[in-house]
Amino acid sequence: MQGLTAALLAWALLHPGGGGGEAWPTHTACRDGGLEVLYQSCDPLQDFGFSIDQCSKQLKSNLNIRFGLILREDIKELFFDIALLTKGSSILNFSYPVCEGDQPKFSFCGRRKGEQVYYAGPVNNPGFIVLSIYPEFDPLSPPPPTWIVATASSLGEYQVLLELYNENHSIVACANATVICS
Amino acid sequence: MAPNVSCLLLAVLFSAGCKVITSSDQMCAEKEANKVYNCEYLGLREIPDTLPNTTEVLEFSFNFLPTIQNTTFSRLINLTFLDLTRCQINWLHEDTFQSHHQLSTIVLTGNPLIFMAETSLNGPKSLKHLFLTQTGISDLEFIPVHNLENLESLHLGSNHITSIKLPTNFPTQNLKILDFQNNAIHYLTRKDIDSLKPATNLSLNLNGNDIKGIESGAFHSKIFQNLNFGGTFDVSVILKGLQNSTIQSLWLGTFEDYEDQDISSAMLQGLCEMSVESINLQKHHFSDFSSTTFQCFTQLQELDLTATHLKALPSGIKGMNSLKKLVLNVNNFDQLCQINAASFPSLTHLYIKGNMKKLDLGAGCLERLENLQKLDLSHNDIEASDCCNLQLKNLPHLQCLNLSYNEPLGLQSQAFKESPQLEVLDLAFTHLHVNVPQSPFQNLHLLQVLNLSHCLLDTSNQRLLAGLPDLRHLNLRGNRFQDGSIPKTNLLQTVGSLEILILASCDLLSIDQQAFHSLEKIHLVDLSHNNLTGDSIAALSHLKGIYLNLAANNIHIVSPYVLPILSQQSTINLSHNPLDCTCSNIRFLTWFKENIHKLEGLEETVCANPPPLKGVKLSDVKLSCGITAVGIFFLIVFLFLLIILFTFLVKYLLRWKYQHF
Repeated sequence: MQGLTAALLAWALLHPGGGGGEAWPTHTACRDGGLEVLYQSCDPLQDFGFSIDQCSKQLKSNLNIRFGLILREDIKELFFDIALLTKGSSILNFSYPVCEGDQPKFSFCGRRKGEQVYYAGPVNNPGFIVLSIYPEFDPLSPPPPTWIVATASSLGEYQVLLELYNENHSIVACANATVICS
Repeated sequence: MAPNVSCLLLAVLFSAGCKVITSSDQMCAEKEANKVYNCEYLGLREIPDTLPNTTEVLEFSFNFLPTIQNTTFSRLINLTFLDLTRCQINWLHEDTFQSHHQLSTIVLTGNPLIFMAETSLNGPKSLKHLFLTQTGISDLEFIPVHNLENLESLHLGSNHITSIKLPTNFPTQNLKILDFQNNAIHYLTRKDIDSLKPATNLSLNLNGNDIKGIESGAFHSKIFQNLNFGGTFDVSVILKGLQNSTIQSLWLGTFEDYEDQDISSAMLQGLCEMSVESINLQKHHFSDFSSTTFQCFTQLQELDLTATHLKALPSGIKGMNSLKKLVLNVNNFDQLCQINAASFPSLTHLYIKGNMKKLDLGAGCLERLENLQKLDLSHNDIEASDCCNLQLKNLPHLQCLNLSYNEPLGLQSQAFKESPQLEVLDLAFTHLHVNVPQSPFQNLHLLQVLNLSHCLLDTSNQRLLAGLPDLRHLNLRGNRFQDGSIPKTNLLQTVGSLEILILASCDLLSIDQQAFHSLEKIHLVDLSHNNLTGDSIAALSHLKGIYLNLAANNIHIVSPYVLPILSQQSTINLSHNPLDCTCSNIRFLTWFKENIHKLEGLEETVCANPPPLKGVKLSDVKLSCGITAVGIFFLIVFLFLLIILFTFLVKYLLRWKYQHF
């Protein structure tokens, strides 16, 4: 019996992580001015790079971001879902079309599966959502149609689930992010 | 020492077992038996032996094949489509596809190609589509030309190409699509364009190449299907360069992340010198928008001004009589009349969706558009207490109207009297206020498709759908019925011509047996995402050969008396139901096995009960139901009584015998 236990132990040591697979490392998208944004890819197949240029509790409306990833799918149509939670309760859910057949908003729209995409530019267009974290946010009222002004004035930790997917609901990128205001 | 050795042996055995498991996990997915296989992301270094020789379509992206040569795919001679996206391919050696005569599509996107041998693409009898996107190509001589005579599309996006000039021996006679997006092409010369000469009706994509100059006369008497110059800083350069060309569709839009120069009326002068049917200018700013801006648009048939920051279209635009299709999505109109529709009398298609402000429909703003066939006013926050006769006055030829995703609309009887030719009406996600017993769709004699999903309808209004003699497709998804049940007399009784009925997500608990009796032509019923039980199937007893979706309901047990009703349908989806896999449901389980070819969503059709079988696919369940304990008890009692009866009978017979002899 002891032999078996030892064998199981040896097996476990020879196969670290078991069958579950390892998670991607947690990256810092920005850390400045009392705001820290950490993210981790939740796409089991790949990691991606993302950073926010100016980072502060008063998130400016003219945000520039950078991201780099390999496309798993064609992105003639691309949609962006965001869910914001604090202490496990949902504050906000929002879905936004990034690329559509009749309106490719960004220059990377229409690129193909397998392409490496690097984007450095603004996300400052009407309707595009930027994390809005403010304590008086009323979860029952719908988000403002254009901008959600970001003033992360309240201290605390927020969880953000981000998902990019195409017209077939195939994942293009997925992230679990944590926003820490201190 | 000995136990240690045995431990190690055991450990090795365990890991061997583990490896076997993982390799069997990494099987290619079969999409269509013996024909279509997906082997993406498996880290494969060769074609697995498990793939049959008959494979025709192979998705092999994101694997590892540094070198491909004539042995790599030699077994799969029936391949027609081969996707080798991002397989880290460096080398394509001689005669790689020599035996693949049927191959018509090769995808090499995202491979760091170092060299393609002269004969590497030889073999296929009719190679039609070649994807060389982001393969590091800087010189078009890199592509071996020997077997490209049948090529219809060539994708060369995201490379380092600076000139579109094809090598002199490059065959272009069948080429229909030439894609150069996101390269470094800044100039187009006459020679460049001449190199495309034998191609007819070519679509040339130069999106994301900042074109700074076109040699004068380069496009002289050239004909193109589509030309895409998306993201160009100065559109006047393009329009000047396209002098004397004939182009079906010209895409000149820009993007959020691109700088562009404001378009002035003078910059559009070049359009007078060319022939274009359709033009897209999305996301540009106009510096001096006036009626003269359009003076060179007189021959245009389609104009797309999506997200061009427009507050109004100028009045008094002259000469746009030929415009058939106008797209004004995502602009800043306050009122529909601000588009000055009278300037476009021939318009058949008008799209104004996703307006950035709440759009007021006004009164009769489109009344001059007598030829209008399709109108899209979705996602506009439109609100109206009495819609839509005044707002959509005089649209006698309108066939297709989209008012989905708006604010509440009040509809009275005959709300669409002004457009009696309507065939398709989409009101999804727009709350509708209809007073009982009004019939808002009355007299839409030609209406075939009506989408009322999530309209918060009052479904108790029996007259709601009155006057729709030709309605074939009705979507009532997300509407609620009183007490969660569809009674015998209901709003469907007036639409006997229905072929497709969607009642998904309606919180239904039950359907009366007679509820659908007037629907005789139906061939698709979607009842998914409700709380229906097996008994509701009885409502379909008079229907045959339909597609029936009962997914995500509350079906535990399907009574034997409804099985014949299921048997007479063509396709049934019972997935995501809490199905009972005990002997009390044995008749259904037997039926399920016998009719498996009719069932859809088998992977998700699983048992919920008994606990040991929870999550097991119904198709895998084997039940042998003998006689239950109660049955055995009654059987014993019955036998016992039989024996008693027999003994009495024997006794009686014997007595009778003695008495008579």
